[in-house]
Amino acid sequence: MAIASIRNFGQILSRVQSHPTTYRAFSAATTGISDCTLSRTAEQLSQLPTIGYVYLGEVPYRKALEMQNQLCRRRIDEIYALPQADRADLNLRQFSDALILLQHPPVYTNGRRNHGKLQPDEIERLHALDCDYVETNRGGEITFHGPGQLVGYPNLYLKDHFLATKCFVKGLEYTIAETCAHFGIEAKTIPGFPGVWTSPTQKVAALGTHVQRYVTSHGFALNCTTDMKWFREIIPCGLEGKTAISLQTLMEQHGKPNCDTSVDAVLPVLRQSFAKVFGCNVKPLEDVSPATFKFIQELVKL
Amino acid sequence: YTESHEWVRIDGDTATIGVTDYAQNALGDVVYVEVPEANTEVEAEDVVGIVESVKSTSDIYSPLSGTIIEGNANVVANTKLVNKSPEADGWLFKIKFSDKEQLDALLDATKYKQLIEDGH
Repeated sequence: MAIASIRNFGQILSRVQSHPTTYRAFSAATTGISDCTLSRTAEQLSQLPTIGYVYLGEVPYRKALEMQNQLCRRRIDEIYALPQADRADLNLRQFSDALILLQHPPVYTNGRRNHGKLQPDEIERLHALDCDYVETNRGGEITFHGPGQLVGYPNLYLKDHFLATKCFVKGLEYTIAETCAHFGIEAKTIPGFPGVWTSPTQKVAALGTHVQRYVTSHGFALNCTTDMKWFREIIPCGLEGKTAISLQTLMEQHGKPNCDTSVDAVLPVLRQSFAKVFGCNVKPLEDVSPATFKFIQELVKL
Repeated sequence: YTESHEWVRIDGDTATIGVTDYAQNALGDVVYVEVPEANTEVEAEDVVGIVESVKSTSDIYSPLSGTIIEGNANVVANTKLVNKSPEADGWLFKIKFSDKEQLDALLDATKYKQLIEDGH
């Protein structure tokens, strides 16, 4: 399902330059996502839990991976210890959904289907760039994470949200598109090519998730001010002829080089977009579930 | 059937297992499949395989304990079988199960239909 595109980009740009506030109101409607339900009924939408968000700053990839593995394990144990009839009762649980936001030091990661497929000399070449290489259980293929890139790991129990896997992924794609729209950038999904694209060959965000007993891990990586040089060392996501791009480069291309697209500037926009697309409240994790907050903090502290 | 949308076809002490039509629709186009190897010992609720679609890998669990007889190599080579024929040619693995009592925990067709209709 393609996202409705901004019809007159020039008009928006001139509006941005003269009236920043009207631009904001206009952009909220442009992607046409405001009435997107991700296949849920009105009744289901009224029952969605609040998601707690936390921004962890820069965390080494392997540490974040271990944290996610343990968090998923903990949540699965808690949910499935309950009798089937009680699993929907949020009051019986200590742990909540979490939207984990962070950055990583430079690292290349790969998905499950490429386990053991990268040649040793290729891995050495990546190490020589002063970069780690980690194989994971997520979907998708090879990609890069590094400073200037906003990485998001939504840890959701999909049944609380009445979401099928494909609707969950669609939700992530829409969240990113909605975030881009805030900056006046038109971003689309392309059927058959998961990810979020600003042109037929340029991807602004990568996607790759893992679902275990309806609990999600991994997520998305949005290039805010990432140095694109890292992507030129690999074939990102195994797609020949396609490249990665950042919000910063896009703003430069659109004649707005001074627009702040740093991770700090994008964070609140992404949170709002996520809440809008997924139809639920997104509040600080320490308030939503102190237990979850503490669990995560313990595992990522230095 | 299981609550995680797998179907189980019993034949003596052998069970053939795959994902239901409901599951393949919820997943989207399947692009990668891992199935268990023959002679692997598994416990119920162990992860025995993986299905990937829309850049999401989903773990497949064995509903029964026992010994794997065979993983479906056809489905690994032709992943679209899971979408096109999830309840026939798209079967994932066969197991020689060891505990008949575990079958009692499975849902019959009526209960499974109820589960889907209730919006799970």
